Amino acid sequence: MTALEENSVLVSVQNLHKHYGNLAAVRGLSFEILQGEVFGLLGPNGAGKTTTIEIIEGLRQPDSGAVRVCGLDPAQESMALKERIGAQLQSTVLPDKMRVHEALQLFAGFYRRSASVQMLLDHFGLQEKRHTFFEKLSGGQKQRLALALALVNDPELVLLDEPTVGLDPQLRRDIYALIEHFREEGRTVLLTTHYIEEAERLCDRVAIMDRGQLVALGTPRELIARSGQGTRLELRLAKPVGLERLKLIEGVIDCHEAAGAYFLRAQPAALTISALIRFLESDENALLDLHIARPSLEDVFVEMTGRRLED
Amino acid sequence: MPAIRIALLTIRLVMRTKVALFFTFLFPLVFLFAYAGLIAHGRPEVVAYMFGPVVTLNIMGSGFFGLGMQSVMQRERGSLRRYRLAPIGPRTMLLSNLLANYLLGLPTIGLLLFCALVFFHMPMKIGWLTLLALVTVGTFAFAGFGLTIASVANTMQEAQIYNNIVWFTLLFLSGVTFPLPMLPRSIQRLAMFFPSTYLVSAFQSIMAQGEPLLSHWPEMLVLVISGIFGLLFAMKLFRWEKEERISTKAKLWSGVFVLPFLVMGLWMNTRANPTAVWARTYNVFEKPSDAGPQAEAEKANLIEDFDGLQSSEELLRRWQVSTDSDVSGHSMAEISVLTPGAEGARHAMRLKGRLAPGPKNPQGYVAARCEVQPPANSTGLRGIEFEARGESRVYQVAFLPPKVAQTRLSGSAALGSAAFGSAKPDADPFPSISLVPGEAWQNARLPVAWLANPAKNGPADGPWVLEISVTGPPGEFTLDLDEIRFY
Repeated sequence: MTALEENSVLVSVQNLHKHYGNLAAVRGLSFEILQGEVFGLLGPNGAGKTTTIEIIEGLRQPDSGAVRVCGLDPAQESMALKERIGAQLQSTVLPDKMRVHEALQLFAGFYRRSASVQMLLDHFGLQEKRHTFFEKLSGGQKQRLALALALVNDPELVLLDEPTVGLDPQLRRDIYALIEHFREEGRTVLLTTHYIEEAERLCDRVAIMDRGQLVALGTPRELIARSGQGTRLELRLAKPVGLERLKLIEGVIDCHEAAGAYFLRAQPAALTISALIRFLESDENALLDLHIARPSLEDVFVEMTGRRLED
Repeated sequence: MPAIRIALLTIRLVMRTKVALFFTFLFPLVFLFAYAGLIAHGRPEVVAYMFGPVVTLNIMGSGFFGLGMQSVMQRERGSLRRYRLAPIGPRTMLLSNLLANYLLGLPTIGLLLFCALVFFHMPMKIGWLTLLALVTVGTFAFAGFGLTIASVANTMQEAQIYNNIVWFTLLFLSGVTFPLPMLPRSIQRLAMFFPSTYLVSAFQSIMAQGEPLLSHWPEMLVLVISGIFGLLFAMKLFRWEKEERISTKAKLWSGVFVLPFLVMGLWMNTRANPTAVWARTYNVFEKPSDAGPQAEAEKANLIEDFDGLQSSEELLRRWQVSTDSDVSGHSMAEISVLTPGAEGARHAMRLKGRLAPGPKNPQGYVAARCEVQPPANSTGLRGIEFEARGESRVYQVAFLPPKVAQTRLSGSAALGSAAFGSAKPDADPFPSISLVPGEAWQNARLPVAWLANPAKNGPADGPWVLEISVTGPPGEFTLDLDEIRFY
């Protein structure tokens, strides 16, 4: 690793272990987060994502392993680290009668460096709600306030634990836009999620976790490409054709027929489609309908763990 | 400073919460009016005595149910987690809670004081700085107590149980509700181990007796030490998350918190004798109020109420007893301090003895005398009144000028007087009455005509003498006297 590459690593987790009694929450986890990237920890509930992020935040002590965040040891230099990171909890609770602007002003006052409260109110769409009590905020507004609180110290690293859990699709998309803005500002973001869409849309790189272990790590595209699942093709033809002949087409991994349609798994898809067109021409057959479905991270997760994310 | 920021915002949040406002400001007033009205009956001196318990009650409440429960509630609710992400530690959180609790408590004390002064005319024998010092030390000590309980309790329910056990024990057994001298001796001994006892008794002796704060330095020191212990415990055992549990071993360590009280209690039980101070302070219940011009006048007219007496020896310094011994009689008598006195007063005087005439006289004779300085301004006064009870004998009460009293010091002179045996005020140039007291206390009056015009047969030189005597056939007699005053 060159000096430049070494400097660009903002978070380094090596062989991390954490137990709660007999339960192994994290088992030998290792990954690195580079400066400026949005890194996702994807996994079902109980995969060890929150434990990992809390160890990175300095809120929990690991049993073993090495963790460095912004060049600091979270376990030993927690206060210095908190000055440089901003975090949002899975659920943020503030006193009922605390107003939005009071919360931002209070927490901004805890740091040596702080962002403008006015700017945060504007940026997170809370200007109209600045005098509203916490208890009167909707779920989405509370989450926006939690994100704003994570940015009160203008942090280098933003840690978001399940930032859209429990929100409806529209509010989720609002939060996605905010996180994308973090990336545009050049901030490094670590987020945990069990939503595929979130990881695929937001993350530069994703670490898939299951039962405390790292299952796969890479960009969403790499992970999908690495998957042996292949692209799904659903086609309807003018004349029936034998499955055995379809299986001979270049790139076809698997093939079956149902309700008059043919379902193919192909890798690489582009090559298979070209070969399929040539095959149909030579067979004097015609393509009536074609649906192409790329594999998702969900497919990757299922392939690697044998379980679905929601399990 | 983060602690100050959090404290100030916490105060603002309390101001926005109706329930918190009620318990912070109005609820203590309910206790003040209940104590001052129902226990002190509005008597300013007694209100001053009860002010300490009311303030202590308020301080205890804010320590246990304000600060302590608030800490557990914040943890249970999950609002501490957000603070945990900021670069602040347990010390900041605890100091902010402590500061908010203190700053919220001061206006309440001020309000209590205002109401006590305005509505009950409470005498202000305590200096502002002394009051502030007592409140500060007390708040700190009970904050430590509340925080210790909050530290060892894993849940709200657990904290509630611990708080209630400690709260009710201190409430009823340390002078906060019932004045300590009212409680059995064994309870008084137990109370010496309780921090609220130290605060209540310091308040009472300062506010009722005007004692200096420094005379209570050992109790104050113990309260400060316990506050420090409590704060250290709370810092050590501070938990941000409700999921974090405390071990039984750590809970047992919190027992160290009670060590200062244990040492203080043992010292008080073996070396010091606070019960005498408590009893002396408690006297305000028996004494009439000395506040206001009317009370001042009443005090000036008082001849003897016996309440300040500690022993019969003190009584004998003021009262003299004479019998018929110089005319061969064998009558005997003694005077003693009687507890309680008339109508709930602390003490009265008892004259008790036996009439045993000599061979030359058919009747025995005993008299008790006390010098009385007539009031400088007797305008409007008409005589002397007193409370009396006794056996159904005839007693003589006379108010004698110094010279006459001197001649009647012996039994022979008294027995030779025409006044005795057939008491007729008109026949005696000096005021006297006959009295046949019953078993119950009753008011009796001795008219003294010259009081309205002192120049006519009034005081010439030296004090006059109030004489109570009994003559009669052989037999026992008992006469109790109290609240002797000009009327």
